[in-house]
Amino acid sequence: MKHNTFLGAVLGAMICSATAYAIEPGEAAPAFTVKNVKGEEVSLADHKDKVVVLEWLNHDCPYVKKHYGSGNLPKLQETYTAKGVVWISINSNAGVNASDLAARSAKEGSKASQVVVDPDGKVGKAYDAKTTPHMIVIGKDGKVAYNGAIDSINSTDAADIEKADKHVVAALDALLSGKTVELAKTKPYGCGVKYAK
Amino acid sequence: MAGMKFSVLFAAGLPLVAPLSLSAAVKSGHAEAELIAGVSSYQPGKSFPVAVRLTVDPGWHTYWINPGIGGMPVKATWTLPDGWKAGELQQPVPKRFMTGDLPGFGYEGETVFLVDLTPPPGATGEAECKVKLAWLTCDDSACVPGDAELSVKLEAGDGEPGKDSELFKAAGEKIPAEKELGFMVRENGDQLTLFFIDAGEIDLSNVSAFPATPDVVDPADPIKIGKTRDAWMAYAKKSEYTEGPVTQLDIVLSGGKLKQPLLLSWRAEK
Repeated sequence: MKHNTFLGAVLGAMICSATAYAIEPGEAAPAFTVKNVKGEEVSLADHKDKVVVLEWLNHDCPYVKKHYGSGNLPKLQETYTAKGVVWISINSNAGVNASDLAARSAKEGSKASQVVVDPDGKVGKAYDAKTTPHMIVIGKDGKVAYNGAIDSINSTDAADIEKADKHVVAALDALLSGKTVELAKTKPYGCGVKYAK
Repeated sequence: MAGMKFSVLFAAGLPLVAPLSLSAAVKSGHAEAELIAGVSSYQPGKSFPVAVRLTVDPGWHTYWINPGIGGMPVKATWTLPDGWKAGELQQPVPKRFMTGDLPGFGYEGETVFLVDLTPPPGATGEAECKVKLAWLTCDDSACVPGDAELSVKLEAGDGEPGKDSELFKAAGEKIPAEKELGFMVRENGDQLTLFFIDAGEIDLSNVSAFPATPDVVDPADPIKIGKTRDAWMAYAKKSEYTEGPVTQLDIVLSGGKLKQPLLLSWRAEK
């Protein structure tokens, strides 16, 4: 058998390349414990048997501003927490400050169940959170049911919110009525999460 | 008095009606945009190019048609007189960069996109062609969107090239030309095998490859093309966001011994 060094080198490079491990729909959501902006511990395990939303954010990102400035995210938070969903907003950026985030969340009208800080990026990396916003929806069975973009239009224009396919809404409505989530994974859009080096 | 003024203008050689073939530059966020017509007048029924020049502040970048992860392509929305048509933004070969941890494709510094505008056969009079541009610039610490409304006005005439022919020529050389080549993609689990077969023996050594179709090839994959037996080939990691089987891929090849950048398209047989 002819040994082709080019093929060997390429295959070798592929096997050795390290990529972050994305949590695929159907996999168990990684456990975590993290502090909220009041300094209290919040664990995923506290919310067993509930539908949980993890929402990565950074209020300085124009994509997050699109969804808060328009009232879209606060409205989703209010609507779904009223239906028993636990909504956890997470900032995994290096240097995130709890009291600054508390003030900013209040200013932006957040209605999340919890706003948590993850400055060392442990939770973000466990979920391979790439952008802000990046949405993970976890079913009552503790498995990831949706991973990806908040909706279908990659833009910073609030006028696009109404026109877009509302991926997270669709996932939550399906889970809450005991149905399968049809679109379980999409490419998230937003600013990169600024992980600590 | 008015009569004398009139003849002075003629003597100076100034046209009485000057075509507004350049829109003043508009700065928004971290980039400046201009719209430049490639002709000094339009000919009814005949396409002509306009250039969108985007100049991004140092340290920032903007994005290609396939932005990779976390970016956004430049958007152009045209407002044209009745019957006029505008083609897509023709995008020059991008570069690869990282925005923090996210791999992407796009541009730094000055970039010129070309667009073909086509007046209808019966077009007459002054035409104002307006474009609304939207873009995103990012650096490692932030993203800032920008937008601009630009326009050019042209009269009907002989369609002669405008004074910026060098700009248009240089821009054209950076825009990939479509080429018929035996380009084929085969999928094997998480891996894609790209085959480039050309009876004319094209030389693809040291060529850079960029996936123009979003969400087919993992943007971090360098797509190294090498020669194996009779064909040029590359292995590339599939994007984790591919929905279902891969059915199409447009790829841009540039550099190496290529005289101009190429755009190859593969579509799965039905």
